[in-house]
Parts: sequence; structure tokens; C-alpha cells
Amino acid sequence: MLKIQRQSPVSFAAEAIRTEEREHWNIVLEYEKEGEGPWLADMSHRPRWDVQDGNMASLSVFGNKVPEKPNSCIYCRGTLINRMNAAQASVWHMDGEPQKPAEKAYTDTADAGVFLALAGKQIFSIAEKLTDLDFLNPRQETPFLVQGPFSHVPCQIVVADRGETGESPFPAEKSGLILLSCSRGYAHDMVHAILDAGEEFGIRAAGEDKILNELRRIFSG
Amino acid sequence: MSVSITCPVCGKRKGYEFRFGGEDKGAKPEESVLADPAAWCDYVHMNECRAGVQKEWWCHKDGCGTWFCIKRDTVKNIEVK
Amino acid sequence: MNRLKNLPTLQIDPEKKISLRYKGKSYEGVQGDTIATLLYANGIRVFARSLKYHRPRGLYSLDGECSNTLMEVDGIPNVRCENTPAREGMNVKAQNVLGSADRDFMAFMDKMSRAMPAGFYYKIFHKPASVWPLVIKRIRKAAGLGKMSPDFDMPGAYDEIYPRADVCVVGGGPAGMCAALAAAEQGLRVILLEARPRLGGSYDYRCTQYHSVSGDRNMPLCQRARELAEQVEAHPCIRVFAHTFLTGVYGGHVLTAFQQGGEADHFTQRYVEIRTESMVAATGCTERPLLFENNEKPGVMQPGCAHRLARTWGLLPGKTAVFSIGHDAGIEAAIDLSDLGMEIPCVADVREDGQDPLLLAELEKRQIPFYRGWAALCAEGGKNLKKVCLSTLNGKHQKNFACDILAAAAGLSPLTGPLTLAGAGLKYDSHSGFFLPEDMPENIHAAGHLLGYEYPPAIESSGTLAGLWAAADCGVSVQNAVREISEEMAALPGPLRGSKFVCGPVSGKKTFICFDEDCTLKNTDQAMAEGFDVPELIKRFTSAGTGPGQGGIPGHNLPLYVALSQASPDSSPRPTTTRSPLTPPYLATYAGSSHDMSKRTPVHDFQAASGGRMERVGVWNRARRFSQNQSPKNKSDDATARREIENVRNNVGMLDASTLGKFRIFGQDALKALQRVYVSDMSRVSEGRMKYSAMCNEDGCVIDDGVVTKCGENDYYLTTSTGRAGMTAEWFRFHSRYEKWDYHIVNLTDAYGVINLAGPSARRVLEKITDADVSHGAFPFSAYREFSVQNVIPVRAMRLGFVGELSYEFHVPSSFMPSLWQILEEAGKEFGIQNFGLEAQSTMRMEKGHVILGSESEQRTTLHDIGLGFLWHRGKPEAKTVGASALAHTEKQKGRLKLVGFKTENPADGVPKDGAPIADDRIRGYVCTCRYSYSLKVTIGMALVEDELAAENTRLGIYTNDGFAGEAMPDSGEYMKYARVVPMPFYDPEGKRMKM
Repeated sequence: MLKIQRQSPVSFAAEAIRTEEREHWNIVLEYEKEGEGPWLADMSHRPRWDVQDGNMASLSVFGNKVPEKPNSCIYCRGTLINRMNAAQASVWHMDGEPQKPAEKAYTDTADAGVFLALAGKQIFSIAEKLTDLDFLNPRQETPFLVQGPFSHVPCQIVVADRGETGESPFPAEKSGLILLSCSRGYAHDMVHAILDAGEEFGIRAAGEDKILNELRRIFSG
Repeated sequence: MSVSITCPVCGKRKGYEFRFGGEDKGAKPEESVLADPAAWCDYVHMNECRAGVQKEWWCHKDGCGTWFCIKRDTVKNIEVK
Repeated sequence: MNRLKNLPTLQIDPEKKISLRYKGKSYEGVQGDTIATLLYANGIRVFARSLKYHRPRGLYSLDGECSNTLMEVDGIPNVRCENTPAREGMNVKAQNVLGSADRDFMAFMDKMSRAMPAGFYYKIFHKPASVWPLVIKRIRKAAGLGKMSPDFDMPGAYDEIYPRADVCVVGGGPAGMCAALAAAEQGLRVILLEARPRLGGSYDYRCTQYHSVSGDRNMPLCQRARELAEQVEAHPCIRVFAHTFLTGVYGGHVLTAFQQGGEADHFTQRYVEIRTESMVAATGCTERPLLFENNEKPGVMQPGCAHRLARTWGLLPGKTAVFSIGHDAGIEAAIDLSDLGMEIPCVADVREDGQDPLLLAELEKRQIPFYRGWAALCAEGGKNLKKVCLSTLNGKHQKNFACDILAAAAGLSPLTGPLTLAGAGLKYDSHSGFFLPEDMPENIHAAGHLLGYEYPPAIESSGTLAGLWAAADCGVSVQNAVREISEEMAALPGPLRGSKFVCGPVSGKKTFICFDEDCTLKNTDQAMAEGFDVPELIKRFTSAGTGPGQGGIPGHNLPLYVALSQASPDSSPRPTTTRSPLTPPYLATYAGSSHDMSKRTPVHDFQAASGGRMERVGVWNRARRFSQNQSPKNKSDDATARREIENVRNNVGMLDASTLGKFRIFGQDALKALQRVYVSDMSRVSEGRMKYSAMCNEDGCVIDDGVVTKCGENDYYLTTSTGRAGMTAEWFRFHSRYEKWDYHIVNLTDAYGVINLAGPSARRVLEKITDADVSHGAFPFSAYREFSVQNVIPVRAMRLGFVGELSYEFHVPSSFMPSLWQILEEAGKEFGIQNFGLEAQSTMRMEKGHVILGSESEQRTTLHDIGLGFLWHRGKPEAKTVGASALAHTEKQKGRLKLVGFKTENPADGVPKDGAPIADDRIRGYVCTCRYSYSLKVTIGMALVEDELAAENTRLGIYTNDGFAGEAMPDSGEYMKYARVVPMPFYDPEGKRMKM
């Protein structure tokens, strides 16, 4: 009988050297020759939910309050909670064992989107070739959410880190971590667009480990 | 390209991210009122088309999805406060 | 040619040689050369021939203001050679010549100018009418610059970039650099655009002494340029885009530009779109051409062009240069070129007075004669300049000078393009002689030379001030700094008085106001004599300023000349409108990296591997059909998808319907929202059942249809058509925007893949993959069930019948979809399961009389028109259902197009195309969908026709020009096919098959 598998809409040409089976997903933890960055990683297997309620303040997401201000985010115990608008938030489970929320306010949206992570140096230079959205606005503190078109496709983007070192406010000298989610159907073309834009900077595919390590480093404090 | 719109949730963005929702005409009248074709036409199709500042609906379709009103100078095609 | 050496201003590396090919020969230049300077260094003086008269044209400016040096480079036509860097191995060709630029066999055209007065093509050649087709061929052959083959493959790499800034400064001269520094000092993100390859502007090539306001800093201007440039480049908050040309400015401060790639860049040219809070234009000035006879002869150039050739590229433009100028920079250039070794017989200045006395003293020191109130009247020589006739402005006294270069300018013109694009209106300023912005839009500032400042510290201070204003636009408090710098400026010389002189007493026959379009002063006079009295109209009649230079040459001369001719008051001259792109980029640059973003379903690759012909349907890629190798004889595929249809009708098929819109809507007011947008009574939607309904707009026109089911208390799941999915959430929210309803929508379109399993054997396939009871009794028609496959894959199943057979729709989480697809393929093998595509689906649902909105409906089609009026529930006025009032108004309306089914009279006539008009003596409707039905062995279709033709058995004439048989119409290659209106559905009218 056919082995049932959950399949990500993303596949990279790179050779996987470590993989893991998890909830019917076959997850690549590391690719061969991941290089020094920038990296693009497929995180589409991570559990994600949409949360909507008329009274967001009353909600508790795995014991956390939803951030009050739209487009602000909190990262807590492996979960990112991104406030989208007056009555909506997205919950992205990044690390550790997820709980499964039963409340009606939640909708499982893991399969609604492709979920990508861009990490390392020059990622903001890659981003500015694909979008005019402002990820380096000095008046916004990371992590924050940006909702808008990236390579012409409406996306939810969390700027998790932008290496707050150095004086220049411009992309060339910044490194960091961006998480990006858009309609799953666009996965193929979105990955192609990012890899194409990143080619001049030496972008490589990376496994889940690379991103989880980055997240742990960023949010360790 | 020429118009920028300020979404109450996401801030100032280029006009391409939005959908136009028409002039703000207030809530739709009751069906009993709209049973008169002239009243229906007035509500659905008649616009002020003001050459100047008008209040209108926009939806941040490529962003947070919110419908909101802005004031726009239709002559200069710029958003005004 | 020997290059000047050891000048501090040089931008060439004489050690690094590069060569390019021109006219079959190799020409050598040095690193830093543009194509034009390289050729100039090799003695090339004629670069091109003009558009109409094929007059020889040479190097005139170095910033691309005219088409004189447009050439074909590596197959790309119309490359601006004067500011395109030369690269090793380039292949350069002259354009618009028969022969060569030097010996052009079309040169006789210059003698024909009398036959081509302004607007000649509007006036002659149209009588008799039969002449026109012949003439148009000749004119088209002669018109236009450059040639390109239709299959030309554009070489190079093209990219795009969308940088963000708080302040964007246009122009990297002294004012621009000071503005950038001032704003950056406030911690703002500053982008600085410079059209030339390096910063410096008008300082860059000048060795005149600079004295700072405080008097403690004295150095040549070129050194001051480097000093500022170093500060700018070292500043972490300033990002410089050099060799970048502004193309447009849009409200909200979007600036578009393109950048020319250097040797190390990944792009040949890239599109740059900048979003900024504030903009400073510090674009400086260009030299306004002086008009005289043969003012565009090779050897005549802008003084700045002559000056920069020597200072930047180390090339003395010639041996002897006469200067005829109207501005101090012209005098400065004459002095400098004299010092660099050129013979300067004289400097004529159109101004009677107002010159900088220090410059006049320098002229005197070098014994260069200075003619006040004189200007060039005529340039003479063959292809190249030999002699210049200078004259007093009234023409009374004249004097000839032998020379090979005439450096000529009437004065200066501010480069206001970016400001006008930003929406600033221009007004003539009689003091500076400039057209200056009269009402600056918000957050837009101007600075420097373009405002008339010429004294270097004043230029710099005006830049600093503009930078501070721009910072203020970004919310920075700069009051003190503004006060300080304003006081400093008040003590400095303000804008200088400028010349508004255009031309002396010339005949105007060969006095070119626009080089690109070969438009002379005489043409302009002709236009005025015809009654065209404003520059905008004269521009269109004479085409002056419509060429590749975008008005760079005639821009300010035309309105000045017109105003002078009409003795208009000072306030009235208006330049013609500037439009983007200010400088034309390649179309390839606009195409950029051209990522065509489209969607793929979870089983895209499976379908493609099974021979599916994938095509774009809206945002999605879908399989149109799989039928290939229809018969052993005919290897080509079958566009009618016959095999797929027959397999569904006889066995079982599967279709990827993942593109359907899918939504969850929940919350205590969810039902109110459904009642608002759906025409039916949605309170009757129940658990375990699907309800089919439609949405209308306020005109009662149907925009969407789909099914809805209830998943729990105040919790619904619904589908929409593929095309509407992207707008559905927005539509719900728009129509409840005045309500405070508590309901929520989640777009699950991409979250679920959908497989439509259809055919008489569908149930038997389904039974194999699930333990759930799926018998007809347990899972009847129009029911909704949830079950799992192998206890892993959660499936939402709906029993529907779009194609008219026993049919199920399985909605599964997208990540599981490939597995379920494979499971069904495996389970269906014994029943002959096959893929079917959109073509088969469309034919089968048409046989069933099921509509696809968009095919069987258009913008003006109401629910009643397509026979779905029964869906409308009129008993819910409190819901204020969208479109309900219009449905009431249109219910009995006459004169509408109604949907009917038809059958052609003679199947041998062939199948009319979708969209074919239905006509008698006039058009009465059109065919929506028409196919040959393999199931029924007839050609059937659906059409929207005028209601008078909707009755059963009415004969419809279908107009075709597809070359198929039919009844030929007299005297035309067109045919009428005939059909009769018949009742629908055509196939299985009782619906037994889908309910079995």
C-alpha cells in the first residue's frame, strides 16, 4: 500500500544530508553545502493557525496574550503570534512540540500557505529586489509583521532579526532573518523568484536546523 | 503609480495594493425604499464625482484586508488629511 | 589623439586600453571613455545623420540631450554613445545612413527641405487618395531612427530594485551632496541619485578656486567636489546611485529611475523604484542652445561639452575654438581651454553687461578679444566647421573667424524635469531668465544652480537648506539649523541675472530649434503663421521636442522664441509639458527580472507528467486536456478531449479542481453575512447537506456561484468559483462595512486540494479507499460527509454532479493531496480511471446545461437571464441582500439577453466558435459555449440571445468566418450556420445519472 505522506509545495535541487520524519512530513534538517549564507529554507511543514475573534484581548494563545498593536509580534516558547488587524492574528509554531488548539477561533492554515525563511547576510538586498516593503524602518522594533506584496504576491512577512549592528541603515550591510508566508499555490514561482534574486549573493538552500538555530540565537534573551 | 494610500493598520502604501470601494454614501437603505427604481439608481449608481476632496472606501486587499475610508483630492489624485 | 595628462579632473586611465569596432575597423581608447569620446579621440567627427534631412551630426553635449550621437551598439539601436561607457569589443554602427555617417547617400535630402515644410505629411499626399498607400510606404521607410529585427534577442542582464529612503536627492553636484549630508546628519536614510558615473556635478571638471564662506578653505572646485564626494560616500546614512537616470516622479514620492551597470555589476541596466518621504531636486543647469544658421554642424558644441572633453577625458576638442556664449561658465571654459592649449580667437557674449569682472580680467590677461552684445550668426564649412560669422545682435556689424570648434550657448536652462513631474508648475522668472517652479508640491524641494545660484558657497548653502527642509518633512526638528543657514545665505550673492537671448537676425532656414526632429526656426514661424500660438501646439505641429532627447534641446528655447515673436508679456511663456521617462531606458529594463507569478495546485506535477497540457487560467495553471495520440494515424492531440469525455461517461475520471475558492465563515453573525451576499435563504443551510446558491452585485448581475454547508453552530464552509476566490473575503466585508457584525472569514482556497471523481464507477472507487458507508442511501446526492482515508487523510466529501454523472468532490489538506491522488489512481485502475481536464469538464457540464459564470454570463447578465432566478429568495428584506432590489426590478424586464440551449441544424457545418455572433439583419446575441457532443452525436451549445429569440424552436443564424461549411453569404468569405433553440439540459434531462 502507498505510504501516505504530507508533501511540501517546495522542493530544492540541493542534496539533503539529514532528514527527519515528523507527522507524515519528511523534513530536511540539513542540505549539503549550505555555505555561508544567505539561506532560503522551507518551513511549510510548521504548524500554523489563523485566529479570529471579535474580542482579541480576551484570547489566550498557548498562554500568551495576542499583541495589542496590529503588525506587532511576540515570540514565546517557540511560537510567533502576529497581530494582523483588529480581529485577526496568525500563530506560527516554530520550535518544540506544538499544542493543538481546539477553540473555534482557530483555523488550521498550515496547508493554506507556503512558509519560507530567508536568513543570513544580504537577505535585505535580496528582498529589495522583490518588494518595496520597508523591512529596515528604524522606527519599528523586531520582531514585526509586514503584510503586503513580495514579488507581486500578497504575503505575511515577519522580520525576526536584522542584525542591529553597524551604522548603515541600508540593506547591503545588514544580515538577519525573515519569515514569509503566502498562498501555497505560489510556492514554486516564489521560490524561483527568491533564488533568482539571490543568485548574485550566493543564496543556498538550508534545512530546518539552520533556521531553528537562528531563532534560538535571536530569541534566547 | 501615482496614488499612495494610508491604511489604518499597515500605514502608507502604494495604490496598487488597494481596491477602490467607491464614494462613501452611507449604509444601504431598506429594501422597501429601494423598491423604487429611482431610489435604487440613486443609491447604486449616482455619485457626486466631486472635483476636489471626497471621502471614499478602500480595501487593503494585498495587505491586512481592512476596508476603511480616506479623503482624497480627486483633482490632484492625492490623499489628504 | 594625444590625451592631456596630469589634470586633476581626468576620469580616464590612460594605461588601460580598450578597443571597439566601428565601420569595420578597430578603434582604441582608454578606460573611462564613453563610446563617443573614444571615437572622438580617433578623429571621428560625424556620428550620425539627422532624421529628415540627413544632415551630418556631431558631438554636441555629453549628457544625452539630443540624438546626435545615437548609434547602434552590439545590435541595440539608439544607444546614447555620449554617456554610455565604452567596453572592450563593442561593435558600433551609425544609424539612419545609406553608406556611412561621413558619406551618406541620403544627404541630398537636405536640399529638399523646401518640399518638407512643417506638417507636410498632414497637408500633402492625401489627394488623390490613391497616392497615400504608395507614399506611406516611402515615409515609413524613411521615418524613425534605428532598426531592429523582430526576433532580436536583447543582450545583457536586466534587473530591478525597490530601495526605501526618507529623503531622496536627485543630482550629485555640490547642492545635492550638501542636501544629502544635511539630511543624513539628522540620522535619516538618504538616497542620492547622480546621472553621471561619479559625483561632483558642475564642480567636477573645473579648476576655478573655491573659497568657503569662512574664508579658511581655498582649493580648486574639482578638489572641493572630491572632498564633498568623500564625505557623502563615507556617510553611513547616504546611499549613492551613480550613473542613474531619473525617469519619473509620482505622488506620494515614488521616484523611478534606471541605473547603468558598471563592469562589476550583475546588471546591464536596472530599474530603480524609490519610495521616499521627501525629495530634493538639485539637478543643476544645462546650457541653452544658441540658435543660428547651421547651429548643429559638427564642430559646434556646448561650451560645457568642449570643457568636459578636455578636463574629464583629456581631449582638446580641436585647434581653434570660437566662443559665443551668454553665461559666465562659458567665459570660464574659454579661459581654461586657452590655458590647456587651444587657440581662442575671441569670446562673444550676448550680454551687454553683468559678466564677472574677474573672468573678464583673465580674458584680457590672455589677450582674448571679448565681444559684448555679439553672437554667432552662421556656422560655415562642408561636413565640418571651417568658419564662423559673428555679429552684433542687430546684425549691423559682422565678422568672420576661421575655427574648427564653435562653443556656443545662449545661456543656461535649469533642469526642472523632476520638479514638473512632481507637479510643480513653471513660471518664467525675468531676473534669471529661467523657468522656475511657482508652487512647490508638499515634500518637494529645489536647490542649487537650478534656482540661479552660481556662487559656489551659495549653491552649497542652498543645498544644505533644502536637505534640512527635507529632514523636517520626515518629522525632524531642524528650526535652529534652518535659521543659521538662512542667515548665512542672506549674506551671499543670490541668483544671478541670466540671458534670455535665443537668436540673432537669422533667416532660420537651417537654424535648428530641435535637432532630433530636424525642426528649424522657419518651421516654427510657419506653425505660428498657421495660427498655432502656444508652444504645446507648435510642438505637435512641428514635432519639435518629440524626439529621443525629450525636449532637451528645444525645451526652453521654444517658449522663449514664441514669446518673443508674439511680443508677449514676461509672465506668459510656458514650456511644454515634461513627461516621464525623462530619459528613456530600455524596454528590457522595464521588463526587469520578469517573474511571472502564477499558482500551481498540489498535483500540478502529476498532471503534467500524465500528459496534461497546462495553461494559465486566471492566476492558476490548469490542465486543459490530456488527450494525446487520439488515433494511431493522427499523432496530434485531440482538442475536443473526446477520449476523456467518453471515459467519464462510461467509466470514471478524476479532475483536479483545487482552484475552487474555499472559505470558512464563522462567528455569531456569520448567517447574517451569508444572507447579505447570497441570494438564497441561507438559514436553510444545514449540516450534512450542500446548498447551491449564487451571489449578485447590486445590479442583480450574477457574479459567483457555489455551495455552502454548515459545519457547526455559526460555522460554515463554502466554495466559490476559481475566478472569484481572490475577492470573496473582501466582498463579504465590503457589504457589511457599515455593520458591527461579529463574523470571520478564513480563505482556505490553497489549504485544500480538490479532486472531482466522476463517472458511473465513481462509487466503487470510493468504496475501495474508505471504510465509511458511501452507499447511495448513506451518502445521497447533494450530501456532505467527512471521513478519513486509511485513518490518516481527513476528507471532506461532497456529492455533486457538475458533469452530470455520479460524482464526488473530495476536499483534502493540500499536503495530503498528492497521496490521495495516487491512492485514487491505484484504486481506480481496475475501473479504467483516467485524468480529465478543463476541456472535457466544460463540454460535459454544457451537455448538462450547467453554467460557468464568465462563459455563460457577462457583466450585464442577471440571475434571471441565465435561468437561475429560482435561487433568489424574496422573503428576506431584512437581510438587505446584495442585488435583491435589482432582481425585483429586472424580473419581468423586456429586451434582455437570455440564456438558451441550441442544436445546430447540420452537424456537418462544423462547430461555431465560442463568442460567435448570432445575427439576422443585426446582431441579436452570441454563442457562449458550443461543442460537438460525442454523447449525443449532435452539435449543441448555449447562447445569450435577445429574449424574442429565446422561445423553443426559434431558428438562430450564427455568423462565422472560420472557413467551415455553412450557408455562404453573398460576396464574402463568411458563412451562416443555423441552429434551433432547444430545451436544456441536453444530456440526461431527468438527472438520473448523477443521482444513481
